[in-house]
Amino acid sequence: MGQIFSGLLNRLWGSKEVRILILGLDGAGKTTILYRLQIGEVVTTIPTIGFNVETVNYKNIKFQVWDLGGQTSIRPYWRCYYTNTDAIIYVVDSVDKDRIATSKEELIAMLDEEELKDAALLVFANKQDMEGAMSVMDVSNALGLSLLKNRTWTIFKCSAVTGEGLTEGMDWLVNTIEGKK
Amino acid sequence: MYTLLSGLYKYIVQKEEYYIIILGLDNAGKTTFLEKVKSIFLGIPGLTPEKIAPTVGLNVGKIEYENAKINFWDLGGQKELQKLWKEYYNECHGIAFIVDSVDKERIEECKRTFENIISDDSIEGVPVLMLANKQDSPNALKVEEIKEIFTQIAMYIGARDSTVLPISALTGKGVKEAVEWLILRMKRNKENRPPVYKS
Repeated sequence: MGQIFSGLLNRLWGSKEVRILILGLDGAGKTTILYRLQIGEVVTTIPTIGFNVETVNYKNIKFQVWDLGGQTSIRPYWRCYYTNTDAIIYVVDSVDKDRIATSKEELIAMLDEEELKDAALLVFANKQDMEGAMSVMDVSNALGLSLLKNRTWTIFKCSAVTGEGLTEGMDWLVNTIEGKK
Repeated sequence: MYTLLSGLYKYIVQKEEYYIIILGLDNAGKTTFLEKVKSIFLGIPGLTPEKIAPTVGLNVGKIEYENAKINFWDLGGQKELQKLWKEYYNECHGIAFIVDSVDKERIEECKRTFENIISDDSIEGVPVLMLANKQDSPNALKVEEIKEIFTQIAMYIGARDSTVLPISALTGKGVKEAVEWLILRMKRNKENRPPVYKS
C-alpha cells in the first residue's frame, strides 16, 4: 500500500515544494490516513489534544495534520500554516451523524481563509467499512459541498482501515496539483 | 464628490467577471474541454486526457479575455450528480453543453437532459452553446446531424442566443472559437444578466 502511494507521490517530485493539509474533526481518521499513505499499516492513534500539529515530509511534499473543532482561541495561529497550501484533504467520519453539522461549520469557516482560496479540496468520507455509514452523496449534501463554487473539489468514500478509496482520492489529488503547477 | 470619484475609480479598475457552466452527460468530455481551455488561454500544460477521472464534484478554471475574467464551472455528469447543476443556474452567464458525438446510443438521453436544462426558468435568456465534441473520431455525428436531432426541442431554447459548434477537446480543434463565441454572447446579454464586478 505504502509503495502505491510513494509511486503516486513521486510524480510531484521535481515540482517546487508542495503543501497538503489534512484536516477534520477529532476522531475522523486523519492520522490513520496519513500513516496509511506513508507506511501502509494502520497505527492506533491517540486523539490529539490541544494544539497539536503533525508534520510528515515526503521528499518535497509536506503533509500537515491537525484537528478542527473547539480550540477557537488558538485558531489565529493556524494561519501560519495556510500559506502556499496546494491542497486540503478534509476527512469526515461518515458514521458520526451527530457531529456532521459541526464538521460542515468547521470546513466552511476554514475555507473562508483568504490564503486557502486557491487550494483544491479532496473530501474523504471515511469509515465506509462500518455499519451505518452515510453514503458519499449524503456526506456531500450534509457538508454543503455544492455551495463551494470557486474551488476545485471532489469527494471519495474511503476506509482508512481497509485502504479502500485512498488510492483513487490521492490519484485525483496528485493529478490536480500537477495540473496546476 | 467622493462617491462620484470612487464610482469612477471603480468603473476604471473593476473587471467584469462572467461564469460559464459546463454541462453534459458523463464521459462527454467536459473536463477534457476545460483542461484544453486552460492550456490554450493560460499557456499551462493542463491535465492530459488519460489523467482525467470521472468528475465527482467541481473543477474550476479562470481565464482573462479582453479585460474580462471568465470563470468556468465543470460539473460531474453522472445521473446522481446532475441534481447539483441547478445550484449554479442563478449565477451563471453562459452554458456550454457538451455532446458526445460518437455515443449515438445515448443521444436520446442527452436530448432529455438538455431539454431539462433549457426549460429551467432560472436560466431563461442565458446564451447556450452546444458543443459537438469528439469530432476527431471518424464515427462522430456531424454538426448538421446533431442540429437535426436537437431541433425537435428548439422551442425551449426561445429567443436566447444559441448555436452548435464542432470541437475536439482532445486535439483542441474549435475550442478557442467556441469560447470566443460564448464570451461575445455573454457580453451582449449583459443587461439581462449583468456580470459580477470585482477589482
